[in-house]
Amino acid sequence: MKKFLEVNQLAKKYPIKGEKNTFLSVFENINFSMQKGEFVCIVGHSGCGKSTILNNLAGLDSPSSGNIIMDNKNVKKPSLERGVIFQNHSLLPWLSVLKNIKMAIACKFKELSTKEIEKRALHFLEMVELQDAVKKLPHELSGGMKQRVGIARAFALAPELLLMDEPFGALDALTRGKIQDKLLEICEKTNQTIFMITHDIDEAILLSDRILLMSNGPQARIAESVHVNIPKPRNRAEIVNHPNYYLIRNHLVDFLINKSSEIAKGIQNNTIDDSEMPKNVSFTNTADLENRKAM
Amino acid sequence: MSRENIQTITLSLLILFLIFFIGELATTNGERNKKELSEYEQLMGLGEPQAHVPGPIEVLKLAVKELSHPFYDNGPNDKGIGTQLFYSILRVLAGYLLAVVIAIPIGFLIGMSPVFYNALQPYIQVLKPISPLAWMPLALFVIKDSILSSVFVIFICSIWPILLNTAFGVMSVKKDWLNVSKTLEMGPFETAFKIILPAALPTIFTGLRISMGISWLVIVAAEMLVGGTGIGYYVWNEWNNLDLTSVVFSILMIGIVGMGLDLLISQTSKYFMYQE
Repeated sequence: MKKFLEVNQLAKKYPIKGEKNTFLSVFENINFSMQKGEFVCIVGHSGCGKSTILNNLAGLDSPSSGNIIMDNKNVKKPSLERGVIFQNHSLLPWLSVLKNIKMAIACKFKELSTKEIEKRALHFLEMVELQDAVKKLPHELSGGMKQRVGIARAFALAPELLLMDEPFGALDALTRGKIQDKLLEICEKTNQTIFMITHDIDEAILLSDRILLMSNGPQARIAESVHVNIPKPRNRAEIVNHPNYYLIRNHLVDFLINKSSEIAKGIQNNTIDDSEMPKNVSFTNTADLENRKAM
Repeated sequence: MSRENIQTITLSLLILFLIFFIGELATTNGERNKKELSEYEQLMGLGEPQAHVPGPIEVLKLAVKELSHPFYDNGPNDKGIGTQLFYSILRVLAGYLLAVVIAIPIGFLIGMSPVFYNALQPYIQVLKPISPLAWMPLALFVIKDSILSSVFVIFICSIWPILLNTAFGVMSVKKDWLNVSKTLEMGPFETAFKIILPAALPTIFTGLRISMGISWLVIVAAEMLVGGTGIGYYVWNEWNNLDLTSVVFSILMIGIVGMGLDLLISQTSKYFMYQE
């Protein structure tokens, strides 16, 4: 199957002040690909450059080296084909909820009439259950509602690839749960291709098809690509009963607590060869894990 | 009405009463005791009321008289207070609007481009602290018209706050909002009008308000210099007439009109305010 998105040897380096020709490398040798309809989460400690990778994918920032190819085209600048949901929702505070979405739709679908734009905006607001808040200004909404508007805006544009930068990071656990359910439901319907940053491994398992694990920065790498072998549609209550759930979860926790810093040290001491990264990790059942341990 | 409102109004009225009371106590009506004067002195006019700082009631009486016929015109030296204020407001608006039209686009440019900002910064810093009245002789010589010169003085004093506030507002537009415009593939004009302008408007209005305040301060001084018409000329003329009641009355009117102009802009700005 043809790859929809390909990231090749991506690296970001910043010059160090006062020292000529020395650079601080945030991340290097970042290689991964995505297929159409795939939901990929990226997990890693703060400072490993997750957000920078996402900004590079969006075209808001450019890498020091390496390239990103989407649909056979080089990603150089922002495009309506790549929607972004920012952590702080970034709604325009002087526009009502409806106008925020209408403005975005008008930018993408220039051929639509005013009525059609309004209809589309209302449709997506209904999808996130905000049909009663259309006239409100963003500051009149709760954090969760604002983020739902952000989701409605992003989905209304039907981008080829949707990028989400810790979209639920600022929300309380209950609200986050509700919005995750909503997102799960919408993804089921739209088969949207999504790349998402998160700190929450339960969220990553619940939502994604694949989880990319990053080693610690500087010189961070995508060390592993963990397949979430839990059938869809999923829901929060049942997913924990699946035999793979805790296997994946424990693996992720182990990676974040122990391996991410070990790999970082190994890379800095040149004792780890990163040419094979990311390593594919997959769990099919309990027996498989036992085999892997025995190996 | 809430308890707090009643307290506020009571206190406000009390202050008004105190002003009247102390004002009346501290001033005289200028009458002299004619009994102590000789017949000769009375014949010489020494018995007439002396020039004096008027009390509040005297000012109030004049205010009622003047404000009931605000637009009369008995020649160049005797025009109604309304006519004089009208001339002043007209000049302020002319200079001010000219400044708005020029300062907002330039402010936009400076705010969007660091090159322009840094290049223009030294000139702005030198020109800004110059008292607008210092331009008057030059303006009079070049423009050769006293009324247009006062308009120019208003223009030059109101341009700086608008310019700097516009630039500041444009510079401090949140990066997130600009990222939104980038991901929506907006062109530079669309970004300027749909994102930057509405985002910067509250700051721009701060500049508009400061400039209006300064303009109204400066017009009085400018008209004292150029003469002819206007509230500044009126004040100076009444001083020359030694009519201090009229002077106090016009001081009061300057304050009230200034308040009105400020209110006009602050009320308009409410439509463009937003809360994050």
